[in-house]
Amino acid sequence: MTANLLSCTGLTMRFGGLVALDRLDFTLGRGETVGLVGPNGSGKTTFFNVVTGLYRPSAGTVRLGELDLFAKSPQTIGQAGIVRTFQRSRLMLDQSAFDNIMVGRLSSLDLSLATNIFRRRRLSVELEASIREVRALAHRFNPVIADRLFQPAGSFTMIDRRRIEICRALMARPRVLLLDEPSAGMTHDETRQLMGDLLAFRSELPELAVVLVEHEMDVIRRVSDRCIVLNFGRKIFEGSFEALMADRDVQTAYLGEDA
Amino acid sequence: MSSFPTSAPSLSFMMRLQRFPRAVAAITVLVLLGGGALLIHSDSQVKVLGMLAAFLLVFALADRSAAGREIAAICGDYSRFSNALAMIAAVAIAIIFSGEHYTLLMLSTVALFATACIGLNIQLAFAGIVNFAGAAFFVIGSYTAGVLTSFPGLPTIAILAIGGLVTGALGLVLLLPVLRTRGHYAALVTMAFGLLLRTFLEVNDTLGGPQGMKIKGFSIFGIDFSRTNSIGPWDVSFYFPYAILSIVLFALAFTFASRLESSWIGVALDAVRSDETAASVFGLSIVRWKAVAFLLGNAIIGVAGAVYGMMNGFVTPNGAGLGESLLLLSIVVLGGLGNMWGAIVAAGIIIVLPEKLQAIQEYRLLIFAMLVLCILLFRPLGILPRPIRDFSRISDGREEGL
Repeated sequence: MTANLLSCTGLTMRFGGLVALDRLDFTLGRGETVGLVGPNGSGKTTFFNVVTGLYRPSAGTVRLGELDLFAKSPQTIGQAGIVRTFQRSRLMLDQSAFDNIMVGRLSSLDLSLATNIFRRRRLSVELEASIREVRALAHRFNPVIADRLFQPAGSFTMIDRRRIEICRALMARPRVLLLDEPSAGMTHDETRQLMGDLLAFRSELPELAVVLVEHEMDVIRRVSDRCIVLNFGRKIFEGSFEALMADRDVQTAYLGEDA
Repeated sequence: MSSFPTSAPSLSFMMRLQRFPRAVAAITVLVLLGGGALLIHSDSQVKVLGMLAAFLLVFALADRSAAGREIAAICGDYSRFSNALAMIAAVAIAIIFSGEHYTLLMLSTVALFATACIGLNIQLAFAGIVNFAGAAFFVIGSYTAGVLTSFPGLPTIAILAIGGLVTGALGLVLLLPVLRTRGHYAALVTMAFGLLLRTFLEVNDTLGGPQGMKIKGFSIFGIDFSRTNSIGPWDVSFYFPYAILSIVLFALAFTFASRLESSWIGVALDAVRSDETAASVFGLSIVRWKAVAFLLGNAIIGVAGAVYGMMNGFVTPNGAGLGESLLLLSIVVLGGLGNMWGAIVAAGIIIVLPEKLQAIQEYRLLIFAMLVLCILLFRPLGILPRPIRDFSRISDGREEGL
């Protein structure tokens, strides 16, 4: 593993009396994929919300490379290179797939009124380049998306919507990608397809660091280099997938004391 | 746009339509505008009702039939051509009726209200800000024109620009509360602003108190249109220059808003409106985009208000009432959120019909309320729903706007 890209120490998130994240230490290296697992309510999504700035953490540190991102705004963190997908699909269903995917890139485009309203020729040149780029990206996931780029996102199947979400995140040129249960609501077959997608773009973007929250253990096993298990906001395990399956604390967390 | 399922027998008709797309677009635009002009010009209630029924029938047919959808798609594909033609036709209609006070007054009022509704559309349909103070901002534009026209020598264009700027600037007062509240609460804040402004105007003696304020008309090339009624050898109505100005203003606002929509800013506004969480994760500033939409929208409403004030020659605090703001919002909802042509159609319905049909005048608010309810129930996207943004058009060189 190379030098740490994302590192959190003592990260704590309290909601009144409830401690959703309890002094969590977390590191992620360049190009590494970490599988984050744990029972429902163990703090996985809270961790994502804290790292992306949607929640303001109570204590600890968050660093991306040299940047201090503790309690920064979601905008700052997003532009620094940490992006995520959501457990519940958060797409603009009435807008085209292209528009949705471009949302990932918008904040690095020229959004001035002058360019957007008056320099239309320049805009159309930029637009053509963007359409080519989005089409190529979507094509790698599913040619159907590339062919129907200007159809509303709501007209796509669940798995294609999830792919559109991943494309949107990749358009932001992230350094760290947080995937929140990409297989949620998918059939067995769709989960397998999605896993293929994940493996494919992992090999195409060797620099990208990924944190994957997933209940589907098969996906975790195939995709992740290292696993972390959370329970009641605390890290109870860190290591390889094989060690995870054999770990007593993990079994207790999932199945109870007498299992 | 032409991927609609088409039945076999009408296919050849479709092909014929597609062979002359510009002719199809031109005929559609001219028929619709000509019909609208006849409706505005007609003074018999029976004729108006008949035309209304005819419009409804044509609309229902076009909406249901494949050929109608094809024609709509062609007009959409050649939007630049259709829009330019519509503007020329509107100017031509104003010239044809250049001697008729009442027709021109109606025409200008529809165009100015539709312009104000474009401002509201930028706020509501693009950024998701509900503004219940639309009429208040409209009236601010009128009062600004009233104050400015009392200084002789100020060119009209400057008055309009300052009217927009002042309205936008006064909107700043509301910006913070609007940004810090959501949904119903933001709507309540704007409502309170409208009430406050009206009360302020009623007690303010410099601005004329409850009686309101007189506003001088504008002059171009030294011709004061409030006194003369001819340009060279032609007799023209006092309202003629206002009709032309209103049409130009609508065209400008229309072009501005459609370019805004079909740009990266449009996507940013859609992202902010539909999901603030997702938008902020991807680095978009919610505050920035809501502020931009709110200020731009108010500025457009203010310019329309300034022209309206000059045309009527006076403005009163009553114009800032909640009822008037609701009227503007109902035009937006009726026409279709985010559809600029819808704004003109709905403004026509809301403004012209009660003038033409004396019988319904007293019940007009009741009828509007029922109309809006019916639209929300049976056609929630409005008479003309907002089409999906299709960026492949712009990269093809098929521009939006004018």
